[in-house]
Order: sequence, then structure tokens, then C-alpha cells
Amino acid sequence: MAAADVRDMLDLPADGQPRPHKKQKVVEKRPEGVTRELYALLGERAPPIAITENKYKGRPKWMSKMRVRPWRMTPFTNPARTDGLVLRHWQRQQDTAKPPPPDDTAMDVDQKPEGEAPKVAEQEYPFAKYNIKPQLPRRYTDEEYNRHLKSDDWTREETDYLMDLVEEYDLRWVVIADRYDYQPRASENSEADATALVPAKRYRTMEQMKARYYKVAATMLALEHPPSEMSEAEFELHEKMMKYDPERERVRKELAALQLNRTADEVREEGVLLEELKRIVANEQNFITERKELYARLEVPISVGNTTMYQSSQGLSQLLQTLLQADKSKKRRSILGAENAAASPAGQTPTQNAPSGARDSRAETPSGPAPSASTKKAAAAAAAASTAAQQAVKTLTPAEEAKYGVQHHDRLTPGVQFRNDRAQKLTQAKSNIQTQKLAAALTELEVPLRLVMPTERVCKEFEKLIHSVNLLLDARKVAEKVESEIRVLEAAREERLRREREAAQAAKEKDGTQIKVESEEQPSAPTGGSQEDHSKPSDNASTTNPVSDEKQPDDNAAAGDSAEDAPGEEVDPEPEDDTGAEAAAPSTTEDKDKDKDSSSSSSHKRSASVLSTVSDKSAKRQRK
Amino acid sequence: MNPSIPPSTTEYGGDEVSAIVLDPGYSTTRAGFAGEDTPKSVVPTYYGKYSTDTEKYIFGDDIFVTPRPGLSIHNPIGRDGVVEDWEMAEKLWEYSFKSRLIGAKPQNPLLNGLNEVPEGELPTEMEGVETEEKPLADSPLLMSECGWNPTKAREKTIEIAMESWGTPAFYLAKNGVLAAFAAGKASALVVDVGASNVSVTPVHDGMVLKRGVQHSPLGGDYISSQIRAMFKNNSPQPITITPHYLVASKTPVEAGQPPQATYKTFPPDKAPDASYRTLLEERTLTEFKECVVQVWPGPNKLSSVGPNGVSNEELAKSSPGRPFEFPDGYNQVFGVDRYRVVESLFDAKAAIPDPGSDFAAPTQAQTIPELIKSALNGVDVDIRPHLLANVVVTGASSLLYGFNDRLSQELMQSFPSPRVRISAPGNTAERRFGSWIGGSILASLGAFHQMWISKKEYDEHGANIVEKRCK
Repeated sequence: MAAADVRDMLDLPADGQPRPHKKQKVVEKRPEGVTRELYALLGERAPPIAITENKYKGRPKWMSKMRVRPWRMTPFTNPARTDGLVLRHWQRQQDTAKPPPPDDTAMDVDQKPEGEAPKVAEQEYPFAKYNIKPQLPRRYTDEEYNRHLKSDDWTREETDYLMDLVEEYDLRWVVIADRYDYQPRASENSEADATALVPAKRYRTMEQMKARYYKVAATMLALEHPPSEMSEAEFELHEKMMKYDPERERVRKELAALQLNRTADEVREEGVLLEELKRIVANEQNFITERKELYARLEVPISVGNTTMYQSSQGLSQLLQTLLQADKSKKRRSILGAENAAASPAGQTPTQNAPSGARDSRAETPSGPAPSASTKKAAAAAAAASTAAQQAVKTLTPAEEAKYGVQHHDRLTPGVQFRNDRAQKLTQAKSNIQTQKLAAALTELEVPLRLVMPTERVCKEFEKLIHSVNLLLDARKVAEKVESEIRVLEAAREERLRREREAAQAAKEKDGTQIKVESEEQPSAPTGGSQEDHSKPSDNASTTNPVSDEKQPDDNAAAGDSAEDAPGEEVDPEPEDDTGAEAAAPSTTEDKDKDKDSSSSSSHKRSASVLSTVSDKSAKRQRK
Repeated sequence: MNPSIPPSTTEYGGDEVSAIVLDPGYSTTRAGFAGEDTPKSVVPTYYGKYSTDTEKYIFGDDIFVTPRPGLSIHNPIGRDGVVEDWEMAEKLWEYSFKSRLIGAKPQNPLLNGLNEVPEGELPTEMEGVETEEKPLADSPLLMSECGWNPTKAREKTIEIAMESWGTPAFYLAKNGVLAAFAAGKASALVVDVGASNVSVTPVHDGMVLKRGVQHSPLGGDYISSQIRAMFKNNSPQPITITPHYLVASKTPVEAGQPPQATYKTFPPDKAPDASYRTLLEERTLTEFKECVVQVWPGPNKLSSVGPNGVSNEELAKSSPGRPFEFPDGYNQVFGVDRYRVVESLFDAKAAIPDPGSDFAAPTQAQTIPELIKSALNGVDVDIRPHLLANVVVTGASSLLYGFNDRLSQELMQSFPSPRVRISAPGNTAERRFGSWIGGSILASLGAFHQMWISKKEYDEHGANIVEKRCK
């Protein structure tokens, strides 16, 4: 990168100022002994090889004033030896406290070693400390041997020999067993033996030796300190030695020998098995860690953090900001691109997302003019760019859109969904009863509840159909309500009239008890009627109305239909009454509807008729 | 490192007492000061003997040089590594350290020619002049011996050292132990391939396990005899080795063509003994071993068939041969034969039969893998894996090309389960002088100085002390 670029980036003025002066060239000092001409040959940039002067560096001055401490061939004795062997080695002469007088003659120097020899000898030989021996049990006396240590297998002589050997080889059993070579001494009856045969040489195994030695050592230890008085270490040792089992040791060694002499195949098999074992163990480990992780996830503590900071509007907006930030950082590019594409056709002002647009445009048009410093210009450029981008997108005519199946959605819910589901959702009303009514209406129209071929258009039509059915049902409901109201009012009116009549009669007859009975009976009748109004008509309406919509030739047939349907559908205490009332009802309700809200009913009716034709068509199409 | 500061005793357990280490072998005798890394004096154990009017002896490298009339070559050490001729062995050993290590002592002034005594007059008393100065009066001596040295030989050795050489302190160490020390191990299985013997010595904690010590004569000399046998049966024509001293001039010839050389002839009364010719032929054979002979590196025997049906011998044939030119100019490329001459070290059946040889046909028990097996069987089972993990290879004949690979292969085949690790120094000198170097280390250790047998102890207990002390 050139310096100019850096300057540009940092907004520094261009090469106006002169460069800062270079450091004064450091003139390296020419080492001594190198001629000027030769040194010049090295050039300006000398290779990083130090030209060192290979000169002897003597001792520092203060050192040279010290007296040289001579090394002398000094005799020494080793205290680890018993014979006082005198060997000689070079040793630095000890610093004497008092320096010898300066007029020391050569004679004096010669005499010195003799004078110093005893002094050096006094000093402990440094390697003598390595002369260590293991602790061995005290040797038994004759009496002790006879009392405690007698054995059929081991003679006293052989035991002695063993103990000597153990001492000699410092308990190195491998060596002891190797060197063990006990020759029973020719005893008194050697003549007899010699005549017979060479006495059979007994071969002692290491186990036998160890067993004998441990027996002796443990006994001696116990004699010295009875087990009750032993220190812990001693007791442990005693226990160990007492428990030595030569037979087991022998078996163990046999096994070890077998192990050593395995064939290559056995070794390979063992290797394979070990590998398998390793694999299994590793798998188990994996499994355990995975399960742990799962448990940890299940047991994630419920967030107990304070939520008060999010309760104020400011806190909420802050949260939103942070979330957005996180989201943006995750996939800024793709989101921005989608937003731009979707937002600009919707008529949003491009200024709103000008910065992002600008960024996009810069990314898309690298060859474009470099953005100037002012943000205003940048915004304008961005707007221009975005419009250009819009123009670049080919707009489709509605026909083309239909052809290619291009659709515009107002609002998209995230995730994949089926068109069929959406249609299905429409058939689900808020209440169960309403849903059933809808379903009934659809079955009557021979429109299957589940669309067989839910194309876009079929769905749209279906939507319309459902919408109109809903409207119809609403209208029916209202009609029922109004009708029942009318009936109530009529009944009230009749009652009033009757009462008036009765009052007139009572006035004539003046009977008190009758009035009372009447007054008690009267209120019950209207309430019963109103109850019926609420439950029945709505049910029947759903079945009857569509029949009229479908322009069946005669209303009677429709009534018959409804009469047939009704008993199956609902189990009422008095069905005959209801159907009779309903059969009469439609004609009256339709009249009343026309009277009251003519506009709504007319539109309703029209829509219903249109709907029916359409639904017929759709049904046909579906059949196809 | 400042040389004026002695190394601290903690980091270096050395304490040098100017001891001399003497490592006598069948082929060479090594001598030097303890604490050095190679012996200063390496002399052949062979000596020359000729007689003019008196018997004269030649020691050192001089024996190779002049073909004196009637010069015969002898070796004081027997083929099994035990000294046979003690008188000459003493002279030879004395020569080995006197010639290079310690300067010539002043002679007896009576004999140096300056103090001529007139004829017939009794020599004047010269008090104070020791009639015989002992050569090793101020140097302790460490000597090595083979693992199977008999007690008598050991006692004789200390006798010579104490009485003839007057050493103040003496020690006799097994060369297997010393080789293990040279490799830095206190416990090891030492495989020593020498000139006259191959020996396997199990060492535990610095001590030889006597029951495991094995040796067989399949050493360097045996290989020489195999090479001679191979030369006899050589395919274009049998090869005769003409030593350099018999060749006056030669002209180069093509490979396999008969040599064109003029030979020197000695009249019978001027000719040296036949042993001289053998010695010099042996030199040529040594060169042949260094340049040509190769051990089949394994993984199986040379005679066996590999996994893909190709026999190892075929494989060996396919590898390029090695040329060798003899002193008379005859030269030839040696192919698979160069593997065959050493194959019998590992496979007794592969030995080249030669009725005229000094060596009997080897038995399978004499081969190196079998020696190692029987050595291991002689020691406790608990230390066998440890020994196998510390196999130390030493001896000059182990420098044969591919020897270590083969040995390692053989051991891994015989003992598949424990880890086998061979430690053999790559440095030629360290391999040739393994036991001497171990002796040099041992004799310069401060902690060792309590082990010496002193003159006083010898005087007290007699020569048998060597049995008690040098275990």
C-alpha cells in the first residue's frame, strides 16, 4: 500500500509537508584491524554477521592480582576401605588462611605436600558416603538357631551360607540365586558317601531361598522385639516376611514365563482385544459425556434474572435494538437484500432505508463513481440507484402473473404451510356448534370439507363460499332472534289482550282465586318459548336455509328434507312441535327480513345465489 | 565451561586416580588411562617370534611390516578367550601400556653403559638404586576378563599385576559388565561379537549372572573362515588371497579375470613362517568384511521364503553387488555370497561347509539368537523383559553391515510380547572399545575406589582374594 493511500484514508493532507528527516545514518565504527578499503567493500547494508575480533580475553584485572591456587597431586585415603590404601588424585590446593610469606623458596613448596597431607586426609573423602549397606537382621546364635530355626530342609551350614550370600550381595535376590552354589561339606561319613556316589547336588530355587531367609529374618526380628512392641514399619515388615508363600511365588513365575513365551499370534490377538477394549471404553466415555450434556440442557435453570429493566418502554426498545443488532450481525446481507426487494415495490420511500441502499448499490456497482463525502449526495445517488434497480426488474402484467403463478402476499407467516391448511382453517369456526353448522352447509353443497385440488383459485373461491355461508348463518341467526322476539311480543300481546278480556270478564265475575292461578301460569309459557328460540331455530336454520338458497322447486320438499334430517340430528323432547313451527317459520322470517333490513338480506341472497353457481362450478371442476 | 573449575561431584561422580585400564582381547589389546574416551594404546594381541642367535619377539603393529626370515606369529590367548601362554601374555600386556602410556623408566645404571665395570672387578655397591623398577608402581590397574574366565586364570592375572608390575591397586572386571556400563546401563543383556567368540552376558545391577553367560566361537575369525570357504567355491574361479607383501607389482584387470601381477618370492631359508602369511591374509579379509560382507537384514532367514513367494535369496540377488579388489589386482563383484558368509551366525544350516577349516560346522545352539535364548533361560523370569529392553551390542564384529537389524528382527520373532530394544552405539570406536570405555568409566568413578584390591590386601590374603572381591 502506498503512503498516499494511507494518507488518504486518514484524511491527512496530501504530500504538502516534506517528509520527516530520516534518522541520521548511523556510521558504524570500523573495527580495528580491518582496513578502510576492506570495510568499504561491505557496502552500506552490511550483512548481519558480527565482525568480532578474535582476541584472547584475559582474566579481568582484579583477578590477575589474586594468587593462583595450584592443583596438586594429593594422596588420599578412602574411609570406606579398611586397608588404608593411599591413592593419589589431583586436587586443588586448599586456601590456607594465612598466605605464605613472599620469600617462599622452591624448597618450601616441595615440603608443602607433606605438611598438608594430614590436613587433606582429615577431610572426609566425598565418595565414602555412598558406601551403604542394607539393614540385615542380627545373626542368630547357636542357641537361638536350635530353638527357633531348625528345619528339616535346611542344615545349619546351608543357612549360614545363605545368610552370608545375602549379606554379600545386599539382598539382590537375582544375583544371590545366580551365585548360590552350596557344596555340602564332606561330613564325617564322607568315606561312605564318596564310595557310593557324588552327593546329589541340591538345586535351590530362589523361592526356597527367599522363604528360608524371610523365616530367619522374621524370627530374628520377633526375637529382638516381640510383635507387640514392634514399631509400625517393623511390624509391617514382619507381617510381610511371615506371609511369604513360595508356592504362590513359583506359580506366579510360571505364569510370567508363559506370558513371556507367547507366540506372535497370541500377542497380536491380545493387541486386537486391547484395541477393542479401548474403543469400547472410549465409546462409553462419549456416551456418558453426551448424556451429561443432555441432562445439563434439561436442567437449565429457569431464568431468574430481573425483568424490571424490560418493563419500561425504554428498556423494551433497548432490548429490541440489541436483538436486532444480533440478528443483523448474523445475516445482514441477505436480510437487507430481501427488504429492499420487497419494500420498494410496496411504495415505501427509498429515503427510509437510504443508507443500506447506498451500501447495496456500492456493492452492486463497483465501477460507479466514488461516493462523495457529503451524505446528501450519497442519499440521492442511492435513490437513483434503487429506482434504477426497480426499473431493471421487469414488471409483469396481471395475465402474466397469473400465468406464472406469481402472487403477492400482504403478510407472510414464517415457515412452510399448505394452502389446504389455510382453507381448512376457514371451516373452523369459533364455537363447535358453528363449525358443525358450517360443515353441514358444505356437505349440503356437496363441497368436500377437505379440498381435493386446492389450487389458488379454488381456494379463493372456497374462501368466498365460506365467507358467504358465514354471512348466511349470521343472517339466519339474526332472523331467528328477531322472529322469536316477535313471537314473544305477540304472545305478550295476546296475553295482554286476553288479560284485558279476562279483566273485563273478571270485572264481570269478580273471582279472586282464578286470577291468581292464571297469573302464576302465564309467565312460564313465554320463558319456555324463548328457550326453544335460542336452541332450536339456529340448528334448523342451518339445514333449511341452504335448501331455499339452492332454489329447490318447492318449499314443501325442503320442509320434508328438514323434517327427515331433524330427528337424526338431535334428540329433542318434543320434535313434532318444533318442526311444525319451523315449517311455518321460513316464510315468515323471509318476509320479516325483507321488511327490516332489506339491503342486507338482498345482498345476502344475491351473494348466496352467486355462490351456489360458483360452488357448483368448483364442484364440477373438482370432480374432473 | 571453565577448565579451571573442577566439575562438582554431584554432577560428575568422577575422581581420577590415573588408573590404567587394560582390556585384553583375542585380536587386539586395549590399554589407556581411565577417564579417557578411547584407549590410547591399541596393539594386536598377536606377536611375532623369530630367532637370530637368540629368541626375539616383535610386539605391536611392527609384526605386520617386515617379513623376517622364520618369523612366526603367535597369540598368547586361546580361542576361547582364556590366556594360554602366560609368559607371553604378560610381556604383551606390559608392552601395551609401556609403549604408549608410561614413559620408559630409567634403566638400571649398571646396565646403561655409562657405568662400565672393568672386567673381573666386582661391581661397586650402588645403594638406593632399585635393581628392578616396577612398571606400574604408581598406577592402579583395572583389567577386564571374559565372563567364563576360570579361577586359576584370574589368580594368575592378579599375581602378574601385583608382583611383576607392582601396581598399588588392582581390579578385575567382567568385560560384559564394562560394556553395559559403557552403554550407561547397570542392567543389560550384553551381546559381544568379538574376534574369537560371541558372548551373551546378562548383567544385573552391575553384576554378571553367571548362569546366563553364553559363548560360542562364531566370531570374526569364524566369519573369516567362512569367507575363505566361499572363496574356494567361488564361481568363475577359486580365489586365492595373496597378501600385499607377496605382490611386487600389479596391473589392473577386468572383473573376474585372472590377476596380472608379479609376485615376490622368498627362498625357503629367508621365508617367514606360514602363520605370517595367514596373519596378513586375515588383514585382507578384515578389509573384505568391512567393505563387502553384509548381514541379511531380515525379517526372516536368508533361506526362507517371503510372504509373496519370492525367496529372500532371490531378493538378495536382485540387490546390486559389491566389488572388491584383492591385493594382486583380482577383482570381482560379490552378489548374494556376501550375505551367505555371515548367515550362519543366525542360521546354522546356512554355514558354508569347508572341511579344511579350523572351525567345526556350527550347531544351531551356537547361533546368536539361540545364545540369547539360553542366556535368558538361565536368569530369573522377572528380569527377562527388562534385559530384552536393554540389549547392548558391542564388539568390532558387530559392525557388520545390517547386523543390528537382523538381530532385532530375530529377537522380535523369538519374543513377540516384551519390547525388544537394542542399544548399539553408532560410533565405530565406541563399538570396538565398548568394554574398555566401560572400564575407563568405572575406574574413574569416585565411588569405585573402595573396590580396588590393594597391594596390602593381596599380601594378606593371597591371590585368591580376587575371587572374593571381583564378583
